Amino acid sequence: MNCEQCQELIHDLIDGHISQRDEFTLNTHLKQCLDCDGVRQDLASIVNFCQMHRGEYAAPPNEQALWLRIRNVVEAENGRRIAAAQKASGRPSFLSRWMNHSWQLSLPQLAASTAAIVLVVSLATVVGIRRWGGNEVPVTPAYTSNVNDRVFQRTQAINYWNQRVEMNKARWSPQMRETFDRNMRVIDEAVANSLNDLNRNPHDEVSEQMLNESLNDKLALLKEFSDL
Amino acid sequence: MSSRFTTDRRPIRASLVAVGALLALVSLSAATVVNAQQQFSKRYPGGKNVRVELRNISGTIVVESWNKNEIRLSATIESKDAHVVPKQINDCLMVDVMGDNRGRGDIGDINFKLQVPANSSVDVETRRGNINVANIRSGLVRAYVSSEGDITLTNISATHVVAQNVIGDIFFDGEFSSGGTYEFKSTKGNITIRIPGDSAFRLVAASPTKQIQLNDFWNSGFKTQDGRKYVGDVGDGRSSVSVTNFSGSITFMRK
Repeated sequence: MNCEQCQELIHDLIDGHISQRDEFTLNTHLKQCLDCDGVRQDLASIVNFCQMHRGEYAAPPNEQALWLRIRNVVEAENGRRIAAAQKASGRPSFLSRWMNHSWQLSLPQLAASTAAIVLVVSLATVVGIRRWGGNEVPVTPAYTSNVNDRVFQRTQAINYWNQRVEMNKARWSPQMRETFDRNMRVIDEAVANSLNDLNRNPHDEVSEQMLNESLNDKLALLKEFSDL
Repeated sequence: MSSRFTTDRRPIRASLVAVGALLALVSLSAATVVNAQQQFSKRYPGGKNVRVELRNISGTIVVESWNKNEIRLSATIESKDAHVVPKQINDCLMVDVMGDNRGRGDIGDINFKLQVPANSSVDVETRRGNINVANIRSGLVRAYVSSEGDITLTNISATHVVAQNVIGDIFFDGEFSSGGTYEFKSTKGNITIRIPGDSAFRLVAASPTKQIQLNDFWNSGFKTQDGRKYVGDVGDGRSSVSVTNFSGSITFMRK
């Protein structure tokens, strides 16, 4: 027996499917050949290890298959329960079918459903307010809210820059401080005049333009002087 | 006789001495003032498309053209702590007093004079002080005073002109180029625009105090809102002109 034949028989030996004659010949060769005996020992160790730790290693995870199995189990359970209920009460009603339906949605389906619900509710609200609630709900005129929003937004920015100016003002020369204060007063006057005009006539385009520009000018002045 | 003459000359001598002393004192004071100020003057080569940008803090800015193909920058600097570091990149000369003196506190007035080729683009601004620009024919003239200072633009022919301040008068004397844009804005000051009679432009002029005088440039096509705002075309409206004044007059004059 040569080594090649021997190593082929080693597998049969470890599996226990070898004839007595082959086993004898193989053992005789293994006693004489250390290499083949080493192969037999290695292979036997591997097979033993696998047999001892069978079932301990983790199978490659397959979430989808797992969930599919769980869902099948749940559906089978539900199906049995529904069938039992149907047997008990005859033909199921629409409501009971709808209630007993398995509502399982994927993430995109869930998002689309939510969006659709929000859209429908919004439309219904708008239509409802326009049709039935117009007289009861006081709606602020668009121009007034726009102006107020704009003034509010600008005021926020103006307050921020004003704080920065106040921090640096002490470093300025008296002349620069006087100049700044004088110019700020002039712009504030322009803002106040525009607001007064808008209060008298909220639709006045010129006053609105002037208010916008004077607020912009105030912001620009503050920014420019905040660097000094 | 001689003793009388002698007696008469004494007061004259005394007066001469006093006047001489006074003159010497005045000269000395003037010299002291001159020494306290720094003078700066430098020339820069100018190409075909020269652009000057100047950001001042406080002081006057004068820009005028000359017939040399170079830029001359002169400055009178009040404080010895002030830095003026002009930078020239290609055909652009930039002076940023604000940036060069950040964190130095009050550096007083710096008065600039720029002499540039007539076709230079001019972009100058200051927090406080007057701006004069004269004899420029280019793509841009921008004069911006953050707070108070008069702006005088004389003999200007530029495609884009911006003049803006808070307190102070604005005077423009020049031409409106076809397709150009012109913006003049003041919060408290008078705006005067002097242009040729055949100027063509689209005008939007607003002054809540109703002090808008279009004079020769008024026509029946103008739409007005209570006299506080005028919108309309003069000629074929080739250029766009916007004038806004919160509490001063707007006056158009014919050259």
